Amino acid sequence: MKFTLVVYGAPHASEGAATALRFARALLQSDHGIYRVFFYGDGVHGGSALSAPPQDEQNLLGQWQELQSAHDLDLTICIAAAQRRGVLSSSEASRLEKPAGNLADGFELAGLGQLAEAAAVSDRLVTFGG
Amino acid sequence: MTLHIVNQSPHANNALGDCLQAYVEGDALLLIEDGVYAATGQHDLPESNVYCLKADAEARGISIKSPIEGVDEVRWVSLCTEHNPIVSWFK
Repeated sequence: MKFTLVVYGAPHASEGAATALRFARALLQSDHGIYRVFFYGDGVHGGSALSAPPQDEQNLLGQWQELQSAHDLDLTICIAAAQRRGVLSSSEASRLEKPAGNLADGFELAGLGQLAEAAAVSDRLVTFGG
Repeated sequence: MTLHIVNQSPHANNALGDCLQAYVEGDALLLIEDGVYAATGQHDLPESNVYCLKADAEARGISIKSPIEGVDEVRWVSLCTEHNPIVSWFK
């Protein structure tokens, strides 16, 4: 089956961000497909390349990136939520005249339409709340 | 039928109560994260089809009270394939 995951929880603030990762791993282990992981609301902080958690804490960003490159995952960040919270690609940063972009490798910015499309195309949609 | 997922403690807010109001016979309920605090047997839950994420219960020192069934993440995935839609209650 094709799954889409929606992550509302911010890393280090909500357990939902970590739970989504556990669930994604279990899905891939069970031979189901992940059509898209959509980061929305405070969940967009999960795509900031500038997060630098201590070494003895879970590095959610690095783990998402590993999973992304191993399984060619579509990790999409809501662009409107991200602009408000300061998660910008280099091109968005220059368009908005901000000093630098910080969107992590493996993530893409897109509109809410990408969530609607994923919901329409996927067999299941699972939300991870903050 | 619906799979309801509750990740909030029953002592923190009314997410579980709201979920149970929407719950109809044949649905399933999965307790995860702080939602596992409802798995101690002291809360009114449906008599069947109630599941609790084992890892989250163990992390909090909660013993899952029968007939609530402890599940791992892979079983969670299969619960998702057996139900539609999947509704998360987190406020």
